[in-house]
Amino acid sequence: MGSTGQRLTTAREAGYVACRRCGQVHDCGAKTCKRCHGRLRSRDEQSLQKVWAWLIAGIITFIPANLYPMLKTSTLVDKSESTILGGVVELVHHDNYGIAAIVFVASILIPVGKFIAITYLALSVQLRSEINMHNRHKLYDIVEFIGRWSMIDVFVVAILSALVQLNTVATVNPGIAAVSFALSVIFTMLSAQSFDARLIWDADRTPA
Amino acid sequence: MSETSEPQPLDVRRGQRSLIGRLSLVWLVPLIALAVSLFVAFQNYANQGTEIEIYFENASGIKAEETEIRYRDVTVGRVEGVKFAEGLDVVIVTARIDQTVAPFLDADAQFWVVRPNVSVRGISGLDTVLSGVYIEGNWNTDPQVQQFEFVGLEEPPLTRAGQRGTEIVLRTTDGSSLTTGAPILHKGIQVGYLETPRLAFDGRTVTVSAFIESPYDRRITTNTRFWDTSGFSVSLGANGLDLDVSSIASLIEGGIAFDTVVSGGRAVRDGQIFDLFDDEQTARSSLFNDPDLPRLTMSVLFDGSVNGLAVGSEVRFQGIRIGEVIDLGAVAVDSDEGPMVQLRTVLAIEPGRLGLGEEATPDEALAFIADLVRQRSLRARLVTGNILSGALNVQLLEVPDSMANFVDLGGDPYPIIPTTDNAITDVADEAQSVLARINALPIEELMSGAVDLMDSVEQVVRSEGIRSAPDEVVALLQEARALVGSDDVQAIPAELRAIVADLDAIVSGAEQADLVARIGTVVDSAGTAMTNLETASAALPGLTEQVDALLQKTLALELEGLVTEATATLDGIEALIVSEGFTQAPAALTALIEEGRTLIASEDIAAMPAELRGVVTRLNGIITALDEADISAQLAAAVNSANNAAASIETASANLPGITAELESLAAKTNALELDTLVAEATATLNSINALVAADETRDLPASLASALDEMALFLADVREGGAVENVNAALASAADAARAIEEAAASLPALSARATALVAQTDAVVQSFGERSRFNAETLSTLRDIQEAADAVSALARAIQRNPNSLLTGR
Repeated sequence: MGSTGQRLTTAREAGYVACRRCGQVHDCGAKTCKRCHGRLRSRDEQSLQKVWAWLIAGIITFIPANLYPMLKTSTLVDKSESTILGGVVELVHHDNYGIAAIVFVASILIPVGKFIAITYLALSVQLRSEINMHNRHKLYDIVEFIGRWSMIDVFVVAILSALVQLNTVATVNPGIAAVSFALSVIFTMLSAQSFDARLIWDADRTPA
Repeated sequence: MSETSEPQPLDVRRGQRSLIGRLSLVWLVPLIALAVSLFVAFQNYANQGTEIEIYFENASGIKAEETEIRYRDVTVGRVEGVKFAEGLDVVIVTARIDQTVAPFLDADAQFWVVRPNVSVRGISGLDTVLSGVYIEGNWNTDPQVQQFEFVGLEEPPLTRAGQRGTEIVLRTTDGSSLTTGAPILHKGIQVGYLETPRLAFDGRTVTVSAFIESPYDRRITTNTRFWDTSGFSVSLGANGLDLDVSSIASLIEGGIAFDTVVSGGRAVRDGQIFDLFDDEQTARSSLFNDPDLPRLTMSVLFDGSVNGLAVGSEVRFQGIRIGEVIDLGAVAVDSDEGPMVQLRTVLAIEPGRLGLGEEATPDEALAFIADLVRQRSLRARLVTGNILSGALNVQLLEVPDSMANFVDLGGDPYPIIPTTDNAITDVADEAQSVLARINALPIEELMSGAVDLMDSVEQVVRSEGIRSAPDEVVALLQEARALVGSDDVQAIPAELRAIVADLDAIVSGAEQADLVARIGTVVDSAGTAMTNLETASAALPGLTEQVDALLQKTLALELEGLVTEATATLDGIEALIVSEGFTQAPAALTALIEEGRTLIASEDIAAMPAELRGVVTRLNGIITALDEADISAQLAAAVNSANNAAASIETASANLPGITAELESLAAKTNALELDTLVAEATATLNSINALVAADETRDLPASLASALDEMALFLADVREGGAVENVNAALASAADAARAIEEAAASLPALSARATALVAQTDAVVQSFGERSRFNAETLSTLRDIQEAADAVSALARAIQRNPNSLLTGR
């Protein structure tokens, strides 16, 4: 009963609901999956709320992650604290463009890109946009895939901190930014996960 | 595709729940994140610290965002930026200070850059070699008006703000031994240090702040004295060589020590000014004049040179130090004899030392001194303070019988104390000349001469001739005893007894003539004469003084030369004794004695007693004749005459005081005689004798003597052989004849007595003439001159002997 010929009948319209974990199809009234006992929901009505909430939390934590030092390096003669961007600049000064690029992409470009992508997805769903539905879905896949790699920075800091503990000679400690950054990445991933990609396709559906 | 079953009607129900109900719990997450972020941001802002600016001359080693600001080695801030002020003359260092500390940054806060520093007292700031410099801040723990701009110090301050202690100011005239940071020692322990010395504005003194750490600053009172212990001192005294080195640091950097010996001083506050003394002794002695006490300033005008008087010389009154000289200067004065320069000595007198009590004021002291000058003739004079260095002191003493004088209260600029004659003894020169004279005496030569003489005498005594002499003498005595034991000699006493009996008879005759009563009268006269003599002796003290003066002249004679001559004479005598001729003399003597013995043993000598007896018999006859001649009566007459003579003497004695006066003047004249010349002559005589003794001929003298003795011996042998004894017998016979003549002469004794009386009378006249005429004195003077001439003659004689010693032997 779609309005156009190209329109596909959704499961919801067909009166079914699929389990998102094991894919078992149930009738609409079913609350739990008969197979995996997972909770069945035709649409997550709070999806956008969660997306926005996690996204905002991620952005908030991303600010101190960039303002505060990521690494506290103290050697016998020197003691330095470097922020993410400061570190990038320093690397560039030392002509390590490759590493600077990696750090910049992984720590700045990707998180910021994710914020923008998620915001775009959420806004488009909220505004029931019917444009580029396929591209948007692809974008969502990319965001969800790439999100975990943002933790690379945090891992580097964690490994350095664990390895370089030579007392007075040289010590590396994580700064506040490391925690903030990790939180930011986690919140962003949760935000991406909270997004119900099916909503993209509900744009031409009149809400019941 | 078959139609699927009709889908069930949609159970689409719009949520009827409220807005809050529809809100997901997830919203809490961003809220919490926001809250935490805001909190962290606020925390960060709150802890950001206060921005301050510190001005430095240069900012060497200071880096923005790196250089720390520390307080007591705790980081309390960080430099944020380094920039120039307008005009490029100052570097502005911007820094953030922890909020907890910022309120304490008030006016007393100090900032300086800590750099590595190596000094005598150690190495500091070594950690900054690796870590880079840091800015050390220092402020006290008393927050006052907070400041945000500070001027940084170029050098670390020695005194940390808030450090407990007392800061004093030391004042000296020579800052060469003062260096920044030099230690201040108290009993060898460092209790403080010096700040940087500064020249006073007037350019005359050097002041330096010194910090004494608590609790040692309690040891400092107004009675504390500071002195310089820098370097080392070497003193050579009664205790030997004394090297005093305080500490290595003070040796290089200089140091100050202090001590408080006298209690009772007031506690000091910051900024108290102390004088720095050159050495401990000066410092300690200065303890006894409190510079704070008011002092009376007076001046004294001395006529002569004040060479040896210096600023700081003591002023003594009855042996007690009452002040010191504080200034010396010349002042031109108009006097009766035209303009002259007097030396003005300014004295500072401490009233407390005049016995006026501790609270005496200078005015009271001035009044007291003025009274002393007016009533007790107090005067000032210069006295020798140290006979070796010739240093002078000013002495105030009471000069009785001096002209009335007074303190010139109108003296400009200070009241003037009158002076009296100075008592400066240049003992050093006198002692030196005395020592030089003693030194010049040839005492060693004298001693060696005496020793040599002793040696020579010993050699003579040891010679065999002398040793055999006693045996010879014993033999001689035996011979003499044999002679005495002869019958003739034994008979002599009997004869003598007869003579005595005759004399007895004469005396008894005299007794009958009431001789004794007359003698009594004579004695009375003599008593009167003695009384006169006593009167005369009253004038003797004057004479004594003259004699005294004479003695002093004698003292001034050139005794040294005499001693030298005596020494030379001794040398000569020694040489004489040592000569061979002299040593031969004992042998000759022995031979002589043997001859004598042989002579005594001869028969002629044995016959002599018989002759003697004859002589005695004749004497007896003479006395008998005398007895018969009524000599007693004659004696009585003679005693009468003596009595008269005594009376005359008495009369003469009355003139004795006059004589004494004459004698006195005589002594004075004698005094004036050229005794020096006499002594010189005597010295010359001794010289001559010396030369004589030293002459070769004199050395030959002993040999001549020995030969002379030999001749004597031969002579005695001749006597024995040539009947000399018979000649003696004849001589005794002649003596008997002489006795007979005496017998006759005795008859004329009464006439002799009369003549004696006349003689006494003449003596009387002579004695009287003593009192009346001064010619006697003139005679005495001429006599003394004769003595002098005689001395000259002796001298001439000595020279003659010196020229021709043989004349002594040849009799020329």
